[in-house]
Amino acid sequence: MDDDRSMLDPVAMQRALRYRLTRRNLLRNTGIGVAGFSLASLLAACGSDEGGTTGQSAAPQDVFSGEPRDTLNFANWPAYMDQAKDKDGNVFHPSLRAFQQRTGIEVNYQDVINDNAEFFGKIQPLLAGGDDPGWDVIVITNGRYFTTLTQNGWVYELDPSKRPNFDANAASWAKDPFYDPGNKFGMAWQSGITGIGFNTEQVNGEITKMDDLANPDKVGTSSVGMLEGDMPDWVMINLGIDPVTSGPDAWREAAAWLKMQQESGTVRAYYGNDYLPDLQEGNLNAAMAWSGDVLYSAIWLGLDMQYVFPEGGALLWIDNMLVPAGAQNPVGAAEIMDFYYNPDIATMLTEWILYMSPVPATQELIQKDADKNFDQGYKGYASKLQATAENEFLYPSEEFLGRTTFGFGDWTDESAEEWDAIFLPISQG
Amino acid sequence: MGARRRLVPYYLLAPGALFLLVFFLIPLGLMLFTSLESGGLLSGGFRFSWAFENYTDVLGQYQVQFVRSIVYSIIVTIAALLLAYPMTYWIAFYAGKWKSSLLLLILVPFFVSFVIRTIQWKFILGDHGPILGPLKDIGLLPQGFRVLATPFAVVAGITYNFLPFTALPLYVALERIDKRLVEAAKDLYASRWEAFRKVVWPLSLPGVFAAFLLTFVPATGDYVNATLLGGPGTTMIGNIIQEKFLVELDYPEAAALSVILMIVMLVLATVYARILGTEDVQRVAGAGA
Repeated sequence: MDDDRSMLDPVAMQRALRYRLTRRNLLRNTGIGVAGFSLASLLAACGSDEGGTTGQSAAPQDVFSGEPRDTLNFANWPAYMDQAKDKDGNVFHPSLRAFQQRTGIEVNYQDVINDNAEFFGKIQPLLAGGDDPGWDVIVITNGRYFTTLTQNGWVYELDPSKRPNFDANAASWAKDPFYDPGNKFGMAWQSGITGIGFNTEQVNGEITKMDDLANPDKVGTSSVGMLEGDMPDWVMINLGIDPVTSGPDAWREAAAWLKMQQESGTVRAYYGNDYLPDLQEGNLNAAMAWSGDVLYSAIWLGLDMQYVFPEGGALLWIDNMLVPAGAQNPVGAAEIMDFYYNPDIATMLTEWILYMSPVPATQELIQKDADKNFDQGYKGYASKLQATAENEFLYPSEEFLGRTTFGFGDWTDESAEEWDAIFLPISQG
Repeated sequence: MGARRRLVPYYLLAPGALFLLVFFLIPLGLMLFTSLESGGLLSGGFRFSWAFENYTDVLGQYQVQFVRSIVYSIIVTIAALLLAYPMTYWIAFYAGKWKSSLLLLILVPFFVSFVIRTIQWKFILGDHGPILGPLKDIGLLPQGFRVLATPFAVVAGITYNFLPFTALPLYVALERIDKRLVEAAKDLYASRWEAFRKVVWPLSLPGVFAAFLLTFVPATGDYVNATLLGGPGTTMIGNIIQEKFLVELDYPEAAALSVILMIVMLVLATVYARILGTEDVQRVAGAGA
C-alpha cells in the first residue's frame, strides 16, 4: 500500500529517484575496488568532500508535500520525552504513542544526542555527501551547529503552511527567533535557561550572583561545576555584555573572569553536559545548571537543591527541531513537529521534563491536572504538578524573559576559531 | 611445488596484511592528510592545503598537556610495575595449582567496561561517598577533603585501569624462569636477595621491558580518567585531542596533535629500547638459548 502511494505521488517519486541515484554512485565507487571505496568514503568522512547539498535547491513545498512514509526516525536528547510504564512494566512514551495512533506513523525514537557538536560530527559527513543522515527529525540548540546546518543547506527549509498548531499556540519567544528569522528552518522543541543550581546545605548563605561562584567562602574550594559550552556567553551576560553582538575583546574579558575564578580555587571541573550526577551526589556544592535539571531534582526527586536566576542575568537557549536534508520522511517530520504544538500533547511533555514549553497554554492544563489530582486525593502528585505550573522558570513573565539573553550568534569559521583559541585554554588548562 | 611453497608465507601474511592495510595504514594516511587541511565546517568543510601551521599552532598551545601526559604516564608505569612485580612474582613462584585462578583474578576487571570501572571509582571516591563520607563524619578527615579532581586521582585511576597490561607480560617472563637456577644460586651460597638480583631480575627483564611499553604507550594517550576523575589542571593530551575532534570539530588540528603524539611516543620508545631494552633482551635471549 505504501508502494502504491509513493508511485502515485510525483514528489515521493522524485525522492525515490534521488535515493536511487545516490545508491548508484555508491555502486560505481565500489567498482573501483575495496581500497578505492574506503578512501572515497573516508575522505568524505573527513569533510573534504565538496559534495552536493541536497537541501539548498529543494523548495519547501516540494519536500513537504505528499503522503508521509510509515516510519519516522527521531533523534533527541536523553530524558527529553515523557515516559510511562504499561501494565506489563514496559516503558513507553505516551505522547509518541498518541502520535502513532493519530497518524499511523511508527516513530523510531532514539535519545542519541548527548552533545550538539558530537552529534553534528556524526551526521556531518553524510550531510556533506548528500546522503540520507538516517534521521527525519533532530533537535539542535541555537548556536554554532544550528548555524552551520542552516548555512550549508544541510537542513530542509520548512513549509510554513504545514504548522497550524504552531501558528495558533507557540509562545512569543518561540516565534521568529533572531537566529532563525520566521522559523524558516526550525521549531522549538523545548527551551530553558542556564542559571545557578546549588545544594542548599553545602553553601554558606545565599547564592545570588555569578561572583558567588568565585568566592571560596560561599561555595568552598574545588566544588563548583562550570558548563564548558555555555560559560563564555553566560559570563559575558553577567558582566553586562550582550553576547549576541559581542566580539573578541568582550570574549577576552569573559575569559579573564573565568581565569580569575579558576585561580580562586572554587572550580572542580568543566563539564560538557554531565554535571547533574555530581551535583545530585553532593560532589558539587554549586554549578552553572540548566533549569529543568535542577527543578526536576528539587520538585520530583525532593533533593535539597535550589535554582537561582543570577542577578546579572541568565543565558536563554532554545533546542530546535530540524529536518536534515536527505531525510526519508520529511512529511512525517513536519506532522510530528506540529503535533507537539498541540496543547494537550505539549502538556504531557512538560509535566515530565520541566523545561520551558513553547506552548504557554500548557500552564493552565497542568494546573487543571493538579486540581483534578487534589480532588482525587493524590496530594503528593498534585502538589508537584502545582509547583510545576507555578514555576517562573517554566512560565516566565515578559519581565523575566527580558533579563535573559541569547548566546553569541555570528558564527563563521574565523569567529569560531578565535572563540576556541580564547576559551579552550581555560577549560582544558 | 617449490613455487607454491615459496608463496605460502605470503598466503599466511595476506589476511593480516590486508586487515592492517585497510584499518591501519589507510586511516594513518588519512590522518596525515587531514592534519594538513585547512578551512572550517561553517564554510562547508576542510580542504587539503599543506597547512603545516596546524603543527606549529598546536605545538605552541599544548606543550603543557604533552609534558603532563608523559609525566603522569611515567608515574603510572612505575607505580604499576611496583604493584605488579611482587604480585606476579609470588604467583609465578609460589601459587602452585592456584596460578591460573589468581591470574584470572587479575583479569577480572577487564570483563567490565573501561568507562564503567572508572565511573565506579568516581562513586567510591566521591566527596560524600562510601569511603570519604564516614571518615569525614567521624572527624578523621576535614570536611573539605577530597580525592577526586586531583592529579592523584587521575594517576591512580590510570594505574588501576592499566595494571593488567603490566602484570601479564611480567607473569609470562617470571613463569618461564627455570626454578632450578634459583636453587643453583643458593647452592653457590647466594643469599635470597642475591639470587633474586643476579638470577630472577635479569631473566625477568624482557617482561619488564614489554610491561613498560604496553603500559606507558596507551596510558599517555588516555583521556577517560582525566575526564572522569580529574579537575582543572589535570588535562592530558588525549583530552585535547578528544575535545578538538568531538567538540570543536577541528579535525585538522586534532589530527596534527595525534600525529605529534604518535611521533613522540615512537621516539621515546625507540630511545628506551636502544638504551635499556634490546641489549638486555638480546643478552638474556642469548643466555637462554
